[in-house]
Amino acid sequence: MAAPPQVVPQVRPLICPNCGGTVNLRGYAQTVNAVCEHCQTILDATTPSLRVIQRFQEKQRIQPLIPLGSRGKLGGVLYEVIGFQQRALEADGETYYWSEYLLLNPFQGYRYLTEYDGHWNSGRTLRLLPQPLSGGKKVQLGPDTFKLFQTAVAQTTYVLGEFPWQVRVGESVKVEDFIWVPRMLSAETSSGEVVWSLAEYVLGTEVWRAFSLPESPPAAKGIYPNQPSPYTGKVASAWKTLLWLLLLWFITVIVVMAMMPNKLVFEHEYSFSGANKAEASFVTPIFELPGRPSNVEVTINTNLDNDWASFNFALINDDTGTAYDFHKEISYYHGRDSDGSYSEGSHAERITLPSMPPGKYYLRVEPDMDDALVPAHSMVYRLGVKRGAPDAFWFIIAFLLLFIPPLWISWRSYSFEQARWQESSGETSSSSSTGGEDD
Amino acid sequence: MFRHPIFALYGLTLLGFASVADYQGWSLLPVHRTENVPRSVRDNPGAYRSIYSGYSRYSGGK
Repeated sequence: MAAPPQVVPQVRPLICPNCGGTVNLRGYAQTVNAVCEHCQTILDATTPSLRVIQRFQEKQRIQPLIPLGSRGKLGGVLYEVIGFQQRALEADGETYYWSEYLLLNPFQGYRYLTEYDGHWNSGRTLRLLPQPLSGGKKVQLGPDTFKLFQTAVAQTTYVLGEFPWQVRVGESVKVEDFIWVPRMLSAETSSGEVVWSLAEYVLGTEVWRAFSLPESPPAAKGIYPNQPSPYTGKVASAWKTLLWLLLLWFITVIVVMAMMPNKLVFEHEYSFSGANKAEASFVTPIFELPGRPSNVEVTINTNLDNDWASFNFALINDDTGTAYDFHKEISYYHGRDSDGSYSEGSHAERITLPSMPPGKYYLRVEPDMDDALVPAHSMVYRLGVKRGAPDAFWFIIAFLLLFIPPLWISWRSYSFEQARWQESSGETSSSSSTGGEDD
Repeated sequence: MFRHPIFALYGLTLLGFASVADYQGWSLLPVHRTENVPRSVRDNPGAYRSIYSGYSRYSGGK
């Protein structure tokens, strides 16, 4: 026995009473209104003669980005585009237009796609009623709290295809949008009836892929209310990465500092009097700077008391005759005045010379003090020379620079949220987090 | 561990540079160098003139 022929769903062709063009009905018995694709006349699909409901006065034609009759899979379910409408709202003296595509799967029901400036949302009407919170500024749907983004009056400006409800060009509804990124809850109020719908942000490329559309989708402009932040998850992970790097930084500092020779290669005590008119400069015995190039730290410890001293140094390589000049002033003052006791300066100072090659060196020292005889100025001081003294200057610079990426990402994320809420007529983002994202 | 490979690479580069720089004793501030200082300076230290000779000196506290 031969198998019965497979039944393929067919559209039901009817004749438009306005222009005589063919009207294809794809929504079967659920279609209430249909729009003639030729003359844009809105027809009553519930009457056999397709009674004319509204004639399209303007000759403007809008080409939907997804043609009527296109089929594509969304969430694994095959849908067909059966209706298209353009809607508009006015804000701050400007009119904003967006498109809505009505999709139908005979077994799964209706679904819609919206598009504004390249931003797409896929949604469906809700059977549940969200619970209002905070005087209508928030609504609760399941575990998620949506925040009011905007309230506006939306007007239908263009229709095409067929709809399971009464549709008219020029009809207005009050729209309230609540967001919990990447979702958006919308309440449309008309004649005391509220219809809630839940949509989720989808990429234009996903829509294009789903409907096998040619070329590429229009580029998204600006930031859409429920658009996921590109920094979602990046802020937290950047700070986590920083924590790891800081741990590594700490370990590296300890290891490198422990590897520094920190070897005292010369130390001697000297005295000086400012009243002494003889040549003050002298040279130290020769000492050796061993090993690889590294820093040299010269320390001066004095017994200065309400006095100052100045030192001109030259670290001279005895083999090559290369001299490295440096200078240091030391002062230490203390006492009591009308503000109370004070002290300033220090008895000791240190100078670090960078990356000195190894070799035999000596110091030429030229101390100086006030040459007044009364009071007499003199001091005892101790000079020390260390090879490879621990110095974490570059580690401190690195520590600070490590904070730049997480701070930058945090700032970008903050700026994104600020830009998102800039267009809002509801609550601003500063009071709480945006929604379902983890940052 | 590191979900930001570029940040991790940046951080590791910084740490590597800091390790070498501090280990080698690099500095942003150059030290004045004089070449070919005669050995006689050891016998006559006053013959050497540091670039800091005549440098203005501290004159007192509060």
